Amino acid sequence: MSTAHIHIHRAVMDDSLREAMATRAWLAQRRWPMFNFIGSPGAGKTALLEALAGVLAGRLKFAVIEGDCATARDAERVAARGIHAVQIVTGDGCHLPAAAVRAALADLPADGEGVLVENVGNLVCPAAFDIGETAKVAVLSVTEGEDKPLKYPALFRKAGALVLTKTDLLPHLRFDLDACRRALRQVNSVAPLFEVSARSGRGLAALADWLLQQKNATSG
Amino acid sequence: MHEVSICQSLVNVVLDELAQRAIGAGRLKRVRVVAGQMHQLVPEALTFAYELLTRETPAAGSQLELRVPPLEAACQRCGWRGAIEPPIFLCEQCGAGVELKGGDELFIEELELSET
Repeated sequence: MSTAHIHIHRAVMDDSLREAMATRAWLAQRRWPMFNFIGSPGAGKTALLEALAGVLAGRLKFAVIEGDCATARDAERVAARGIHAVQIVTGDGCHLPAAAVRAALADLPADGEGVLVENVGNLVCPAAFDIGETAKVAVLSVTEGEDKPLKYPALFRKAGALVLTKTDLLPHLRFDLDACRRALRQVNSVAPLFEVSARSGRGLAALADWLLQQKNATSG
Repeated sequence: MHEVSICQSLVNVVLDELAQRAIGAGRLKRVRVVAGQMHQLVPEALTFAYELLTRETPAAGSQLELRVPPLEAACQRCGWRGAIEPPIFLCEQCGAGVELKGGDELFIEELELSET
């Protein structure tokens, strides 16, 4: 039996990338930056967003899109800080799909200035799906172990910023901070690293400044 | 786990290509996919998902063939170029950060059909 070969050169994730591109165009029209916060469950992503609400108050009016497999607890936590928050419940889904984010954006108040997305807690899947963000922000806590960047390089490699959370706990842990910094640099030598504590406020001002810089970059 | 979601996208694209080209059910024999090492896809998980997601579609019974190009990098400082082993993305010669030149691909290369 003879065979025919059809050469195509089409992205495997073509459908998802189209959604992400549409989102990028939508955000560009509004001059909104959108940050995709990705980290393990319990890395302190929601606490970080809660703390950023305080630091960015009066500087960037942002909305939050929360992704979780179940419950609207995170959206409720963020909303309690006076932030407009939308919860996407993904069910079995291990990441936020670009289409779901695009749909959620349409419901946000028009007077906003940017969006912070908290992706489903997971170091692997969310890194593989572009949602149209301005930048990915990789969130790693000091309670997770210093070698995580080496074990999950895709996320840390793609991130535009690296955030090390819960640094107030360092005195209580056997966490090799220098080894962690080294591991992050081995995977990503260019992204800025912010060592922060949502509890004490340490490092948050620098992170907030970086987020604002990206906004200015999107405004041309 | 992300193999299933990625595979859903892949199957959507394959079915779209078959529909656009008016290729009837059962003619697709093989799909050749290039997925660079950067994507860390587990071939068994991907082929398992592919079989599952193509069931009762015009692509049912076709095989997924995966090619995994290794990571290739170029140093932005000293110009060194060569293969790197994940997860270290640093220049072998000078230790500076490298730019990926290969291993980040993720595309469908070819559809193989039986002639009618």
